[in-house]
Amino acid sequence: MKKQTEKQQKKREPKKLSRRQFLGAVAATTAIAGLAGCDMGENTGGSGWLPKQYRSAANWPIQLKGRVPVDPENPSIVRRDDACILCGQCIEVCQNVQNIHGYYELPVKNEFMCVNCGQCALWCPTASIYERSHIDRVREAILNPDMTVIVQTAPATRVSIGEEFGLDMGTWMEGQQVAALRRLGFDVVLDTNFAADLTIMEEGTELVKRVTSGSAVLPQFTSCCPGWVKFLEFFYPELIPNLSTAKSPMQMFGSMLKTYYAKKQNIDPKKIYSVAVMPCISKKMEASRPEFKTVAEYYNDDSMKDIDAVLSVREFAIMLKEAGIDLPSLPEEDYDSIMGEASGAGLIFGSTGGVMEAALRSAYYLMTGTNLPEDKLDIKAVRGLQGIKEATVNVPGVGDVKVAVCAGLSNARALCEMVKAGKVDYHFIEVMACPGGCISGGGQPRTTVPPSDDMRQKRLESIYAKDAIYKLRMSHQNPEILQAYKEFLGEPGSHLAEDLLHTYYISRAEDVTPKKFN
Amino acid sequence: MKDTTAQAKNKISFKITPARGILLVLGLLSICLIVYRLINGLGVTTNLNDQWPWGLWIFIDLAAIALAGCGFSIAVITHVFHIKKFKPLTRRALLLSFLLYIVALLILFIEIGRWDNFYTPIYSFAFTSPLYEVFMCIVLYFLMQAIELLDISIERFNPPARSKISKIMPVVVIIACLLPFGHQASLGAMYLGMPQKLSAIWSSAFLPWSFLINSFFAGLAVVVLEYHFFSKHYRQPKDNAMMTGLTRVIAVIMLGYFVLKIIDLAARGAFGLVFDGSLEGNMFLLEMVIGVIIPIIFGLSSLVKKTSGQIFMATFVVIGLLLSRFNVIFVGMIKTLGNSYVPSWIEIAVIPGLFALAIFIYLFAVENLPIFQAANREYDAFAGREKHAGYEVVSK
Amino acid sequence: MTEANTNRGVLFDVKQCIGCGSCTVACKLWNDLGYEKPDVAGNAHGFDVELTDKNWTIVTYNREKDANGKDVLRFLKNQCMHCKEPACISVCFAHALYIDENGAVVCDPAKCAGCRYCMIACPYSVPKYEWDKVFPSIQKCQMCDSKIAAGEATSCSAVCPTGALTFGDRDELLALAKKKIAADPSYVNHVYGETEGGGTRWLYISDVPFEKLGLPINVPNTPINDYLHGYLKYTPVVFLGGGALFAALSIYTKRRAKVAGHGEGDE
Repeated sequence: MKKQTEKQQKKREPKKLSRRQFLGAVAATTAIAGLAGCDMGENTGGSGWLPKQYRSAANWPIQLKGRVPVDPENPSIVRRDDACILCGQCIEVCQNVQNIHGYYELPVKNEFMCVNCGQCALWCPTASIYERSHIDRVREAILNPDMTVIVQTAPATRVSIGEEFGLDMGTWMEGQQVAALRRLGFDVVLDTNFAADLTIMEEGTELVKRVTSGSAVLPQFTSCCPGWVKFLEFFYPELIPNLSTAKSPMQMFGSMLKTYYAKKQNIDPKKIYSVAVMPCISKKMEASRPEFKTVAEYYNDDSMKDIDAVLSVREFAIMLKEAGIDLPSLPEEDYDSIMGEASGAGLIFGSTGGVMEAALRSAYYLMTGTNLPEDKLDIKAVRGLQGIKEATVNVPGVGDVKVAVCAGLSNARALCEMVKAGKVDYHFIEVMACPGGCISGGGQPRTTVPPSDDMRQKRLESIYAKDAIYKLRMSHQNPEILQAYKEFLGEPGSHLAEDLLHTYYISRAEDVTPKKFN
Repeated sequence: MKDTTAQAKNKISFKITPARGILLVLGLLSICLIVYRLINGLGVTTNLNDQWPWGLWIFIDLAAIALAGCGFSIAVITHVFHIKKFKPLTRRALLLSFLLYIVALLILFIEIGRWDNFYTPIYSFAFTSPLYEVFMCIVLYFLMQAIELLDISIERFNPPARSKISKIMPVVVIIACLLPFGHQASLGAMYLGMPQKLSAIWSSAFLPWSFLINSFFAGLAVVVLEYHFFSKHYRQPKDNAMMTGLTRVIAVIMLGYFVLKIIDLAARGAFGLVFDGSLEGNMFLLEMVIGVIIPIIFGLSSLVKKTSGQIFMATFVVIGLLLSRFNVIFVGMIKTLGNSYVPSWIEIAVIPGLFALAIFIYLFAVENLPIFQAANREYDAFAGREKHAGYEVVSK
Repeated sequence: MTEANTNRGVLFDVKQCIGCGSCTVACKLWNDLGYEKPDVAGNAHGFDVELTDKNWTIVTYNREKDANGKDVLRFLKNQCMHCKEPACISVCFAHALYIDENGAVVCDPAKCAGCRYCMIACPYSVPKYEWDKVFPSIQKCQMCDSKIAAGEATSCSAVCPTGALTFGDRDELLALAKKKIAADPSYVNHVYGETEGGGTRWLYISDVPFEKLGLPINVPNTPINDYLHGYLKYTPVVFLGGGALFAALSIYTKRRAKVAGHGEGDE
């Protein structure tokens, strides 16, 4: 009854206002005119299509809605609205898998919150979200006869590119990939795996220092994944000292290419165009980070960049198809030298746990002076798609080295919280932003929506299968690495190595207010 | 030429000279452009856009309607106040005004995006809209003018029948005197609703009355120009004293207008804006100096005793009126709407032809209807074909 | 069926908006509006657009300073404000625009004569025109009238992932907005739309000044209709009074002329 009178009152209220009444009368005349046979036109208010979840009565909660924000200047990701159907998948992966959306307080500060991991691009069923294309600039460089266009290929691209040509998931395509890149017009084809080995040397040395000095900040976090690094800078800036100062393999490669390689091969470094084929689009962001101006500083020339362009596997496939290159039918070719040789340790960087395994293989050597026995090289505990894995490796003379591996930023968040709370005493933690690591990176071929563990497992197995039959399985065995140290860098952690291969991080605490969860 | 036969009396005669041919060609060109516009829509033919939905055609409309104020200003003077001395101007002012309304309505017809719906406002009864008042007043006024011209035509072609409608003529005339007060002022009122867009120099509750008054005196100035031009064209004797008197009337009304404008600005504290050196301020000063102050000085001095002085003053008044409309439509809005509009060639090209057509019809009407009247009654009595022989084109 | 409520509204909380643009997509989908061609980089729509006949709502992004002088990124959703006493309706001489039974301001193209007065008169410059059509119509947000009628929220507020848009009863939204402002001193102490132009159905609260986001702050609180009424109310006076006056004057001056001996008839 009370409700009724309230309603009546509400209804009566407008009558106090003569103007409203007037407008009502206006509406009434309109209605009468309509009845009188004047065409009232089409129905107003739209009659298009919206996903069903948005068609319930007002104010019911909606399980999956909206989409992620994309900065128009995002270096990695672009979106075209005309393909968006508001299915909510991007926001689902961003929030529940990567823990970005919904994990910061509103209002936003001065940035679109994004770690550029590109998982949204993988999950988007209509390809409304995709990578910012570098195809044009690469093509331009290839067509420029003055430029020596040198490409590096990440560990995880060789097990996925085949899928773009109808091959089974995880098909090994290393040799064909090299051949394809040569046919696309790249002058030199080199391997990021080389730089992965280099990373192990630097990061491993850093780890050994931290573990053996006793006073250093532990655990040490890996820093190869730009999405993870940006995530930590946003949400856990207090853990920045824990991040390894070693650059990611791609950036190390970039630094080495225009310095060491250029000198060795006697090429004008200004004439080198450095391209990276990556399973990742966060790498596009990483390449544009202002602190990566190593080459520019080395030569005192601001126009030089460490990495000039980053192609995702998808872009690479587009280029191949446009050029009419049928990848599976190509012969297997070898990488160029130098910086084309790699160990199995460098290769397994492509999967979650790989960096850890590679690092342990070499750290063991660095700490004990002896190699891990052949049968213990497979550190199975850190392999697989489980969110967080941990392992303990007994290093004679040092003791137990406790390590953890996680992939997917939601797992990283959980781990960071544990580290912050002092609940864990790991020495070394590997983090990859994407579930499964780079083999399921944001720049990989699109598969099922959402990407499945089945796919991840197959790509991962392909990598480990290859690692198992590599002759060289430890980074410190890579002769090209040893050569590079001998002829150029000196030793791991040397002054030049610090300059070229290490970096620093910026707290992004100013840009975000992390949400507090209890 | 001078022979006056019964045949000549009822026959329509109009000689097409080369000059008239050009007018006709220009007019036909405009008609073609109008058809092109009606078939292709506004986007194709104009440069109007979402920032500037109103452009050159609205300006020409507002200007033409304001200048067409000659009809009602002379009518008020001669029919309401019965000032005898201006009587000879009544019919020519009426004709001129009627033609200007035709021009305005034609442009309005192509200016509205939905010309197929041009009639819907007639039964919309949108009493909240000044544009509705403008529209209805113009439609009705146009009708009244048509009746008045019909009356003149009957007088020319079938004088006995004139008695049939003469009874309603006083009513028609009074209504016709009245209606323009509605639409001339409402044209200004259209801009009342946008205080946040129109520069404060013009945005005022006084704007409708400002539009009304300046259309009144600008209409008189148009009559001065028309009188001199066509009297010369037809070698008609000119009544210089009458024209001097008319310019004096204009000057006096303008003086009142000027004072009201200043009071309005002062009351709203908008004086600062006028002298702040901005585009708006400078354009307002230009409008006032050219369109008001100089004509007032002329009109109150002995300069207007001469034909040249009268023409000079009237020209300034007309330019001032164009400026006043231009300022409200374009200058006053430029700060909020930006400068994304420049008229397209079609928008511009359609205009001269319409005025050419108006002049063409004017010439035709003058030569076939008793439009020109002398100051004395006797002359009026002969305002049939006899005297009309003399109106025919003598020159060219 | 929910009971008819003509007092609908949407509250836009600038602080909650992350600039995802879901609302603009929802509007496009529900109203079948289509997109302009993507640019060279493949971007279609995004932020680099303006309200047009096909963009009924847009989100702009603004890098501004907040109350503490810090650089902040703020978004603003633009669309028809759905005034309670709309200028567009007041000025429409064809009565094509009207407030429908759900409170939305909508246009009936069958009546529209295309004068575009509404475009000029709207304080927010919302109505847009189909310039590319031969028989164009005024286009703008219709507040998802058909969805509201079915008891649903507007498309844009239904899809908003952060709660920046809240659909509901305008009075309740106003109370909610005021509650938010009272609880959080960082908000500008004004609900935009509460009084602007006599009140709008869309309400805005923000922590940076509204004018910095591009909302016109010089919209008078008086409905535009009042300005027009201030003039139009004299129309009957002018016509009736003026008519009587003119008739009287006419007769008087004529008689005076007759008395003066110049017996002259009216033309």
